[in-house]
Amino acid sequence: MVHLSSLLLKNYHGGYVVIRLALAGHKQANRPFYRIVAAYNKRARDGKYLEQLGSYDPLPNIYNEKLVSFNFDRIKYWIGCGAHPTKPVAKLLGLAGFFPLHPMTITEAERRRAQTELIATEDVLQEGQKEAEV
Amino acid sequence: MLKGHRRLDDVTTNMAALGTARRLLRTCSRVKNVQRGEQRSVRCGLRTLCSGTRDHALSDNTRPQFTDPAVQDLLTRMTGLDLQKVFRPIKEELKPPTYKLMTDQQLEEAVELATQQAEKLLQMPPLLSERKPISDVLSVDKILDGMDTAKYVFTDITYNILHRERFIVVREPDGTLRKASWEERDRLVQVYFPKEGRKLTAPLIFKEGNLKMVFSQDRHEDVLDLCLVQFEPDSSDYIRVHAATYEDLDKHGKYELLRSTRHFGGMTWYLLGARRADGLIVDMLKRDLLQDAVSLVSLFHMVHPHSESAQEAASQQAAGADLLKIYADKESQKSGYIELALQAYEQLTTKKSSAE
Repeated sequence: MVHLSSLLLKNYHGGYVVIRLALAGHKQANRPFYRIVAAYNKRARDGKYLEQLGSYDPLPNIYNEKLVSFNFDRIKYWIGCGAHPTKPVAKLLGLAGFFPLHPMTITEAERRRAQTELIATEDVLQEGQKEAEV
Repeated sequence: MLKGHRRLDDVTTNMAALGTARRLLRTCSRVKNVQRGEQRSVRCGLRTLCSGTRDHALSDNTRPQFTDPAVQDLLTRMTGLDLQKVFRPIKEELKPPTYKLMTDQQLEEAVELATQQAEKLLQMPPLLSERKPISDVLSVDKILDGMDTAKYVFTDITYNILHRERFIVVREPDGTLRKASWEERDRLVQVYFPKEGRKLTAPLIFKEGNLKMVFSQDRHEDVLDLCLVQFEPDSSDYIRVHAATYEDLDKHGKYELLRSTRHFGGMTWYLLGARRADGLIVDMLKRDLLQDAVSLVSLFHMVHPHSESAQEAASQQAAGADLLKIYADKESQKSGYIELALQAYEQLTTKKSSAE
Protein backbone atom coordinates (compact mmCIF):
# COMPACT_ATOMS: atom_id res chain seq x y z
CA MET A 1 0.00 0.00 0.00
CA VAL A 2 1.28 3.46 -0.82
CA HIS A 3 1.89 5.67 2.17
CA LEU A 4 -0.66 8.35 1.45
CA SER A 5 0.50 10.56 4.31
CA SER A 6 3.95 11.14 2.90
CA LEU A 7 2.47 11.92 -0.54
CA LEU A 8 -0.13 14.36 0.77
CA LEU A 9 1.79 15.93 3.65
CA LYS A 10 5.08 16.38 1.84
CA ASN A 11 4.93 20.15 2.01
CA TYR A 12 2.98 20.55 5.23
CA HIS A 13 4.83 20.35 8.46
CA GLY A 14 2.96 22.56 10.89
CA GLY A 15 6.28 23.38 12.44
CA TYR A 16 8.83 26.10 11.95
CA VAL A 17 12.37 26.25 10.61
CA VAL A 18 15.33 26.40 12.99
CA ILE A 19 19.00 26.99 12.44
CA ARG A 20 20.77 24.56 14.75
CA LEU A 21 23.79 22.35 15.18
CA ALA A 22 23.47 18.79 13.92
CA LEU A 23 26.03 16.18 14.85
CA ALA A 24 27.87 14.76 11.85
CA GLY A 25 30.35 11.92 11.53
CA HIS A 26 28.30 9.76 13.88
CA LYS A 27 30.36 6.65 13.31
CA GLN A 28 33.38 8.05 15.18
CA ALA A 29 33.23 8.00 18.95
CA ASN A 30 34.68 10.90 20.96
CA ARG A 31 35.18 13.08 17.90
CA PRO A 32 32.26 15.51 17.57
CA PHE A 33 31.77 17.68 14.51
CA TYR A 34 28.70 19.81 14.01
CA ARG A 35 26.99 21.01 10.88
CA ILE A 36 25.11 24.29 11.11
CA VAL A 37 21.85 23.43 9.47
CA ALA A 38 18.44 24.86 8.61
CA ALA A 39 15.86 22.17 9.42
CA TYR A 40 12.24 21.81 10.52
CA ASN A 41 11.78 21.94 14.25
CA LYS A 42 10.30 18.49 14.78
CA ARG A 43 12.87 16.61 12.70
CA ALA A 44 15.50 14.43 14.39
CA ARG A 45 18.63 16.31 15.33
CA ASP A 46 20.77 14.49 12.80
CA GLY A 47 17.96 13.75 10.34
CA LYS A 48 16.93 15.28 7.06
CA TYR A 49 17.57 19.02 6.91
CA LEU A 50 16.62 21.72 4.44
CA GLU A 51 20.07 23.19 3.85
CA GLN A 52 23.52 23.12 5.38
CA LEU A 53 24.67 26.59 6.30
CA GLY A 54 28.09 25.91 7.77
CA SER A 55 30.12 23.81 10.15
CA TYR A 56 31.59 23.94 13.63
CA ASP A 57 34.52 21.93 14.91
CA PRO A 58 34.54 22.03 18.73
CA LEU A 59 37.99 20.51 19.12
CA PRO A 60 40.89 22.95 18.62
CA ASN A 61 43.47 22.15 15.91
CA ILE A 62 47.28 22.35 16.02
CA TYR A 63 47.12 26.14 15.80
CA ASN A 64 44.73 26.20 18.79
CA GLU A 65 41.82 27.36 16.63
CA LYS A 66 38.22 26.16 16.60
CA LEU A 67 37.10 26.38 12.99
CA VAL A 68 33.63 27.71 12.34
CA SER A 69 32.20 28.43 8.92
CA PHE A 70 29.02 30.32 8.04
CA ASN A 71 27.29 30.85 4.73
CA PHE A 72 26.10 34.33 5.67
CA ASP A 73 24.21 34.85 2.44
CA ARG A 74 21.95 31.83 3.03
CA ILE A 75 21.68 32.50 6.79
CA LYS A 76 20.28 35.92 5.97
CA TYR A 77 17.82 34.26 3.60
CA TRP A 78 16.56 31.77 6.18
CA ILE A 79 16.27 34.39 8.91
CA GLY A 80 14.36 36.44 6.41
CA CYS A 81 12.04 33.43 5.92
CA GLY A 82 11.43 33.34 9.66
CA ALA A 83 13.90 30.76 10.95
CA HIS A 84 14.86 30.80 14.61
CA PRO A 85 18.47 30.20 15.58
CA THR A 86 19.06 28.05 18.65
CA LYS A 87 21.11 29.16 21.64
CA PRO A 88 24.50 27.70 20.61
CA VAL A 89 24.13 29.01 17.06
CA ALA A 90 23.19 32.44 18.40
CA LYS A 91 26.25 32.35 20.66
CA LEU A 92 28.54 31.48 17.75
CA LEU A 93 27.04 34.18 15.57
CA GLY A 94 27.49 36.64 18.43
CA LEU A 95 31.15 35.69 18.74
CA ALA A 96 31.55 36.09 14.99
CA GLY A 97 30.16 39.59 15.13
CA PHE A 98 27.14 38.86 12.94
CA PHE A 99 24.70 39.05 15.89
CA PRO A 100 25.18 41.15 19.00
CA LEU A 101 26.93 39.28 21.82
CA HIS A 102 24.79 36.70 23.56
CA PRO A 103 24.34 37.47 27.28
CA MET A 104 25.21 33.88 28.23
CA THR A 105 28.62 34.21 26.56
CA ILE A 106 29.37 37.16 28.80
CA THR A 107 28.03 35.34 31.85
CA GLU A 108 30.12 32.27 31.08
CA ALA A 109 33.21 34.38 30.61
CA GLU A 110 32.63 36.05 33.98
CA ARG A 111 32.05 32.68 35.64
CA ARG A 112 35.27 31.31 34.18
CA ARG A 113 37.23 34.30 35.36
CA ALA A 114 35.78 33.92 38.87
CA GLN A 115 36.72 30.23 38.82
CA THR A 116 40.32 30.90 37.76
CA GLU A 117 40.66 33.57 40.45
CA LEU A 118 39.32 31.17 43.03
CA ILE A 119 41.83 28.50 42.02
CA ALA A 120 44.64 31.06 42.03
CA THR A 121 43.77 32.28 45.56
CA GLU A 122 43.48 28.68 46.80
CA ASP A 123 46.94 27.92 45.42
CA VAL A 124 48.38 30.98 47.11
CA LEU A 125 46.75 29.99 50.41
CA GLN A 126 48.09 26.43 50.15
CA GLU A 127 51.62 27.65 49.43
CA GLY A 128 51.38 30.03 52.36
CA GLN A 129 50.32 27.16 54.64
CA LYS A 130 53.19 24.96 53.41
CA GLU A 131 55.71 27.70 54.09
CA ALA A 132 54.24 28.24 57.55
CA GLU A 133 54.56 24.49 58.30
CA VAL A 134 58.17 24.46 57.09
CA MET B 1 60.30 9.97 -46.60
CA LEU B 2 62.19 8.78 -43.53
CA LYS B 3 62.42 12.31 -42.24
CA GLY B 4 58.67 12.68 -42.62
CA HIS B 5 58.05 9.51 -40.60
CA ARG B 6 60.37 10.63 -37.82
CA ARG B 7 58.62 13.99 -37.64
CA LEU B 8 55.35 12.15 -37.65
CA ASP B 9 56.39 10.08 -34.65
CA ASP B 10 57.53 13.15 -32.77
CA VAL B 11 54.37 15.04 -33.51
CA THR B 12 52.12 12.12 -32.72
CA THR B 13 53.82 11.60 -29.39
CA ASN B 14 53.37 15.30 -28.86
CA MET B 15 49.74 14.97 -29.80
CA ALA B 16 49.44 12.09 -27.37
CA ALA B 17 50.92 14.26 -24.68
CA LEU B 18 48.59 17.03 -25.82
CA GLY B 19 45.61 14.74 -25.73
CA THR B 20 46.36 13.41 -22.28
CA ALA B 21 47.46 16.81 -21.09
CA ARG B 22 44.34 18.66 -22.29
CA ARG B 23 44.25 19.83 -18.71
CA LEU B 24 47.34 21.97 -18.50
CA LEU B 25 49.61 19.79 -16.38
CA ARG B 26 53.00 20.47 -14.97
CA THR B 27 55.44 18.10 -13.38
CA CYS B 28 54.90 18.50 -9.70
CA SER B 29 55.29 14.74 -9.56
CA ARG B 30 59.04 15.08 -10.10
CA VAL B 31 59.39 17.16 -7.00
CA LYS B 32 57.14 14.79 -5.09
CA ASN B 33 59.73 12.13 -5.84
CA VAL B 34 62.17 14.16 -3.86
CA GLN B 35 59.78 14.14 -0.93
CA ARG B 36 57.88 10.91 -0.97
CA GLY B 37 58.70 8.77 -3.95
CA GLU B 38 55.10 8.63 -5.16
CA GLN B 39 54.24 9.10 -8.82
CA ARG B 40 51.20 11.23 -9.13
CA SER B 41 50.63 13.93 -11.72
CA VAL B 42 49.11 16.94 -10.11
CA ARG B 43 47.10 19.68 -11.66
CA CYS B 44 48.73 23.05 -11.23
CA GLY B 45 46.65 26.16 -11.20
CA LEU B 46 47.43 28.07 -14.33
CA ARG B 47 47.77 31.69 -13.46
CA THR B 48 46.72 33.99 -16.24
CA LEU B 49 48.39 37.26 -17.12
CA CYS B 50 47.10 39.99 -14.91
CA SER B 51 45.67 43.00 -16.66
CA GLY B 52 47.73 46.13 -16.83
CA THR B 53 45.76 48.02 -14.18
CA ARG B 54 47.77 46.66 -11.23
CA ASP B 55 50.53 48.90 -10.10
CA HIS B 56 53.67 48.04 -8.16
CA ALA B 57 54.50 49.72 -4.93
CA LEU B 58 58.18 49.69 -5.90
CA SER B 59 58.22 51.31 -9.32
CA ASP B 60 57.18 54.80 -10.35
CA ASN B 61 54.51 55.66 -12.86
CA THR B 62 57.06 56.36 -15.60
CA ARG B 63 58.93 53.04 -15.20
CA PRO B 64 57.82 50.24 -17.52
CA GLN B 65 55.87 47.52 -15.72
CA PHE B 66 56.18 43.77 -16.12
CA THR B 67 52.75 43.71 -17.72
CA ASP B 68 53.39 46.29 -20.46
CA PRO B 69 52.69 44.79 -23.89
CA ALA B 70 56.09 45.89 -25.24
CA VAL B 71 57.92 44.31 -22.31
CA GLN B 72 55.84 41.15 -22.54
CA ASP B 73 56.51 40.91 -26.26
CA LEU B 74 60.26 41.11 -25.77
CA LEU B 75 60.17 38.60 -22.94
CA THR B 76 58.09 36.09 -24.92
CA ARG B 77 60.49 36.36 -27.82
CA MET B 78 63.40 35.65 -25.53
CA THR B 79 61.63 32.71 -23.91
CA GLY B 80 61.65 30.91 -27.20
CA LEU B 81 59.28 28.17 -28.28
CA ASP B 82 61.03 24.82 -28.27
CA LEU B 83 58.18 22.39 -28.87
CA GLN B 84 60.33 19.44 -27.95
CA LYS B 85 61.03 20.84 -24.53
CA VAL B 86 57.51 22.15 -23.84
CA PHE B 87 55.88 18.85 -24.68
CA ARG B 88 58.50 16.52 -23.33
CA PRO B 89 56.89 13.50 -21.70
CA ILE B 90 55.64 14.15 -18.19
CA LYS B 91 55.85 11.31 -15.72
CA GLU B 92 52.42 9.72 -15.95
CA GLU B 93 51.19 6.17 -16.15
CA LEU B 94 52.70 4.38 -19.10
CA LYS B 95 50.47 4.29 -22.14
CA PRO B 96 51.53 3.07 -25.55
CA PRO B 97 51.78 5.98 -27.98
CA THR B 98 49.09 6.46 -30.61
CA TYR B 99 50.10 6.75 -34.23
CA LYS B 100 48.16 8.72 -36.79
CA LEU B 101 48.58 8.76 -40.52
CA MET B 102 48.47 12.32 -41.80
CA THR B 103 49.07 14.20 -44.98
CA ASP B 104 51.61 17.01 -44.98
CA GLN B 105 48.88 19.59 -44.64
CA GLN B 106 47.37 17.83 -41.65
CA LEU B 107 50.82 17.63 -40.13
CA GLU B 108 51.23 21.38 -40.51
CA GLU B 109 47.87 21.96 -38.89
CA ALA B 110 48.82 19.67 -36.01
CA VAL B 111 52.08 21.55 -35.53
CA GLU B 112 50.17 24.85 -35.54
CA LEU B 113 47.79 23.53 -32.92
CA ALA B 114 50.75 22.39 -30.87
CA THR B 115 52.33 25.85 -31.10
CA GLN B 116 49.13 27.48 -29.90
CA GLN B 117 48.92 25.05 -27.01
CA ALA B 118 52.56 25.70 -26.21
CA GLU B 119 51.94 29.44 -26.18
CA LYS B 120 49.15 28.95 -23.68
CA LEU B 121 51.40 26.76 -21.54
CA LEU B 122 54.12 29.39 -21.70
CA GLN B 123 51.95 32.16 -20.24
CA MET B 124 53.96 33.99 -17.66
CA PRO B 125 52.77 33.86 -14.06
CA PRO B 126 51.89 37.25 -12.53
CA LEU B 127 54.52 39.36 -10.80
CA LEU B 128 53.25 41.33 -7.82
CA SER B 129 54.88 43.22 -5.00
CA GLU B 130 54.78 41.73 -1.53
CA ARG B 131 51.47 42.02 0.25
CA LYS B 132 51.17 44.18 3.33
CA PRO B 133 50.22 42.38 6.57
CA ILE B 134 46.63 42.72 7.75
CA SER B 135 46.21 44.13 11.23
CA ASP B 136 42.60 45.21 11.44
CA VAL B 137 40.85 44.95 14.80
CA LEU B 138 37.08 44.97 14.48
CA SER B 139 36.19 45.17 18.18
CA VAL B 140 37.79 44.86 21.59
CA ASP B 141 35.46 43.25 24.15
CA LYS B 142 37.15 43.11 27.50
CA ILE B 143 34.04 41.51 29.05
CA LEU B 144 34.81 38.34 27.12
CA ASP B 145 38.27 37.94 28.56
CA GLY B 146 38.97 34.35 29.48
CA MET B 147 35.89 32.92 27.76
CA ASP B 148 37.81 30.04 26.24
CA THR B 149 41.33 28.68 25.88
CA ALA B 150 41.21 28.45 22.07
CA LYS B 151 40.65 31.00 19.32
CA TYR B 152 37.51 30.90 17.20
CA VAL B 153 38.05 31.39 13.49
CA PHE B 154 34.96 32.33 11.48
CA THR B 155 35.00 31.96 7.71
CA ASP B 156 32.35 33.14 5.30
CA ILE B 157 31.47 30.29 2.96
CA THR B 158 29.35 32.24 0.48
CA TYR B 159 30.12 30.79 -2.90
CA ASN B 160 30.08 33.85 -5.11
CA ILE B 161 32.82 35.95 -3.52
CA LEU B 162 36.46 36.21 -4.48
CA HIS B 163 38.84 34.61 -2.01
CA ARG B 164 40.58 37.95 -1.57
CA GLU B 165 37.37 39.61 -0.40
CA ARG B 166 36.16 36.84 1.85
CA PHE B 167 35.50 37.69 5.51
CA ILE B 168 37.72 35.63 7.78
CA VAL B 169 37.76 36.85 11.38
CA VAL B 170 39.35 35.52 14.54
CA ARG B 171 37.98 35.90 18.07
CA GLU B 172 40.91 35.66 20.48
CA PRO B 173 40.51 34.23 24.02
CA ASP B 174 40.94 37.73 25.42
CA GLY B 175 37.89 38.95 23.52
CA THR B 176 39.38 40.88 20.59
CA LEU B 177 37.76 40.34 17.22
CA ARG B 178 40.35 40.83 14.51
CA LYS B 179 40.71 40.04 10.82
CA ALA B 180 42.77 36.95 10.04
CA SER B 181 46.36 37.36 8.84
CA TRP B 182 47.40 36.40 5.30
CA GLU B 183 48.83 33.01 6.32
CA GLU B 184 45.65 32.13 8.23
CA ARG B 185 43.56 33.27 5.28
CA ASP B 186 45.48 31.09 2.82
CA ARG B 187 45.20 28.10 5.10
CA LEU B 188 41.46 28.48 5.75
CA VAL B 189 40.60 29.14 2.12
CA GLN B 190 42.45 25.93 1.31
CA VAL B 191 40.44 24.09 4.03
CA TYR B 192 37.04 25.18 2.77
CA PHE B 193 37.77 25.59 -0.94
CA PRO B 194 40.58 23.17 -1.60
CA LYS B 195 42.73 23.77 -4.65
CA GLU B 196 44.30 20.76 -6.27
CA GLY B 197 48.00 20.44 -5.59
CA ARG B 198 48.07 22.87 -2.70
CA LYS B 199 48.93 21.65 0.79
CA LEU B 200 47.82 23.16 4.10
CA THR B 201 51.39 23.39 5.36
CA ALA B 202 54.06 24.33 2.85
CA PRO B 203 56.11 21.36 1.60
CA LEU B 204 59.50 20.98 3.25
CA ILE B 205 61.25 21.55 -0.06
CA PHE B 206 60.90 25.30 0.37
CA LYS B 207 63.26 25.38 3.32
CA GLU B 208 66.71 26.85 2.65
CA GLY B 209 68.79 23.69 2.96
CA ASN B 210 66.38 21.61 0.90
CA LEU B 211 66.26 24.28 -1.81
CA LYS B 212 70.04 24.08 -2.13
CA MET B 213 69.90 20.32 -2.52
CA VAL B 214 67.25 20.56 -5.21
CA PHE B 215 69.21 23.22 -7.08
CA SER B 216 72.25 20.98 -7.10
CA GLN B 217 70.05 18.44 -8.91
CA ASP B 218 69.13 21.02 -11.58
CA ARG B 219 65.43 20.93 -10.74
CA HIS B 220 64.77 24.65 -10.68
CA GLU B 221 61.77 24.39 -12.97
CA ASP B 222 60.02 21.86 -10.74
CA VAL B 223 60.60 24.01 -7.68
CA LEU B 224 59.12 27.02 -9.46
CA ASP B 225 56.10 25.05 -10.64
CA LEU B 226 55.45 23.75 -7.13
CA CYS B 227 55.88 27.24 -5.71
CA LEU B 228 53.35 28.57 -8.20
CA VAL B 229 50.77 26.02 -7.07
CA GLN B 230 51.41 26.32 -3.35
CA PHE B 231 51.75 30.05 -2.70
CA GLU B 232 49.86 33.17 -3.70
CA PRO B 233 51.87 35.37 -6.07
CA ASP B 234 52.15 38.22 -3.64
CA SER B 235 53.10 36.22 -0.57
CA SER B 236 56.55 36.59 0.93
CA ASP B 237 57.32 32.87 0.51
CA TYR B 238 56.64 33.00 -3.22
CA ILE B 239 58.92 36.01 -3.69
CA ARG B 240 61.62 34.49 -1.48
CA VAL B 241 61.66 31.16 -3.34
CA HIS B 242 61.68 32.83 -6.73
CA ALA B 243 64.49 35.16 -5.72
CA ALA B 244 66.54 32.23 -4.37
CA THR B 245 65.99 30.24 -7.58
CA TYR B 246 66.99 33.11 -9.85
CA GLU B 247 70.06 33.86 -7.73
CA ASP B 248 71.18 30.26 -7.94
CA LEU B 249 70.63 30.15 -11.69
CA ASP B 250 72.60 33.34 -12.13
CA LYS B 251 75.44 32.07 -9.95
CA HIS B 252 75.88 28.86 -11.92
CA GLY B 253 74.86 30.22 -15.30
CA LYS B 254 72.19 27.55 -15.86
CA TYR B 255 69.86 29.75 -17.89
CA GLU B 256 69.18 27.01 -20.40
CA LEU B 257 67.07 25.14 -17.83
CA LEU B 258 64.39 27.79 -17.98
CA ARG B 259 64.74 28.75 -21.61
CA SER B 260 61.48 27.44 -23.09
CA THR B 261 59.38 27.53 -19.93
CA ARG B 262 56.98 30.07 -18.49
CA HIS B 263 59.46 31.18 -15.83
CA PHE B 264 62.00 32.65 -18.22
CA GLY B 265 60.32 36.05 -18.36
CA GLY B 266 60.23 36.33 -14.60
CA MET B 267 63.89 35.45 -14.32
CA THR B 268 64.89 38.01 -16.96
CA TRP B 269 62.84 40.70 -15.25
CA TYR B 270 64.46 39.94 -11.89
CA LEU B 271 67.97 40.00 -13.31
CA LEU B 272 67.28 43.26 -15.15
CA GLY B 273 65.94 44.82 -11.99
CA ALA B 274 69.10 43.81 -10.16
CA ARG B 275 71.26 44.93 -13.14
CA ARG B 276 72.91 41.54 -13.35
CA ALA B 277 72.02 40.55 -16.88
CA ASP B 278 75.64 40.04 -18.01
CA GLY B 279 75.70 36.30 -17.40
CA LEU B 280 72.50 35.94 -19.40
CA ILE B 281 73.85 37.95 -22.36
CA VAL B 282 77.04 35.89 -22.35
CA ASP B 283 74.98 32.68 -22.34
CA MET B 284 72.84 33.91 -25.23
CA LEU B 285 75.89 34.83 -27.29
CA LYS B 286 77.42 31.43 -26.59
CA ARG B 287 74.34 29.82 -28.07
CA ASP B 288 74.33 32.19 -31.07
CA LEU B 289 71.08 33.89 -30.12
CA LEU B 290 71.99 37.40 -31.22
CA GLN B 291 68.39 38.55 -31.60
CA ASP B 292 67.62 37.54 -28.03
CA ALA B 293 70.67 39.38 -26.75
CA VAL B 294 69.65 42.50 -28.66
CA SER B 295 66.09 42.36 -27.29
CA LEU B 296 67.49 41.85 -23.80
CA VAL B 297 69.63 44.97 -24.11
CA SER B 298 66.70 46.99 -25.47
CA LEU B 299 64.59 45.78 -22.53
CA PHE B 300 67.36 46.86 -20.18
CA HIS B 301 67.27 50.32 -21.73
CA MET B 302 63.51 50.44 -21.31
CA VAL B 303 63.75 49.49 -17.64
CA HIS B 304 66.67 51.77 -16.79
CA PRO B 305 66.22 54.76 -19.07
CA HIS B 306 68.58 56.93 -17.04
CA SER B 307 71.63 54.70 -17.30
CA GLU B 308 74.60 55.68 -19.45
CA SER B 309 74.18 53.01 -22.08
CA ALA B 310 70.51 53.85 -22.52
CA GLN B 311 71.25 57.49 -23.12
CA GLU B 312 74.10 56.59 -25.54
CA ALA B 313 71.86 54.25 -27.47
CA ALA B 314 69.07 56.83 -27.65
CA SER B 315 71.49 59.50 -28.92
CA GLN B 316 73.01 57.20 -31.55
CA GLN B 317 69.72 55.47 -32.48
CA ALA B 318 71.62 52.19 -32.48
CA ALA B 319 70.16 48.85 -33.46
CA GLY B 320 71.31 45.25 -33.51
CA ALA B 321 74.93 44.48 -32.74
CA ASP B 322 75.75 48.17 -32.11
CA LEU B 323 73.40 48.13 -29.10
CA LEU B 324 75.36 45.23 -27.72
CA LYS B 325 78.64 47.07 -28.22
CA ILE B 326 77.34 50.15 -26.41
CA TYR B 327 76.06 47.99 -23.57
CA ALA B 328 79.34 46.12 -23.35
CA ASP B 329 81.29 49.41 -23.18
CA LYS B 330 79.16 51.21 -20.66
CA GLU B 331 77.39 48.85 -18.35
CA SER B 332 78.62 45.32 -18.15
CA GLN B 333 81.44 43.87 -16.09
CA LYS B 334 82.17 41.11 -18.56
CA SER B 335 82.65 43.49 -21.48
CA GLY B 336 85.70 41.63 -22.74
CA TYR B 337 83.77 38.43 -23.27
CA ILE B 338 80.85 40.16 -24.96
CA GLU B 339 83.16 41.95 -27.41
CA LEU B 340 84.98 38.71 -28.21
CA ALA B 341 81.70 36.91 -28.82
CA LEU B 342 80.46 39.76 -31.03
CA GLN B 343 83.63 39.61 -33.11
CA ALA B 344 83.27 35.85 -33.50
CA TYR B 345 79.65 36.29 -34.61
CA GLU B 346 80.60 38.95 -37.14
CA GLN B 347 83.33 36.71 -38.55
CA LEU B 348 80.80 33.90 -38.92
CA THR B 349 78.31 36.11 -40.73
CA THR B 350 80.97 37.49 -43.09
CA LYS B 351 82.15 33.94 -43.82
CA LYS B 352 78.57 32.84 -44.57
CA SER B 353 77.90 35.80 -46.82
CA SER B 354 81.24 35.34 -48.63
CA ALA B 355 80.52 31.59 -49.00
CA GLU B 356 77.13 32.41 -50.54
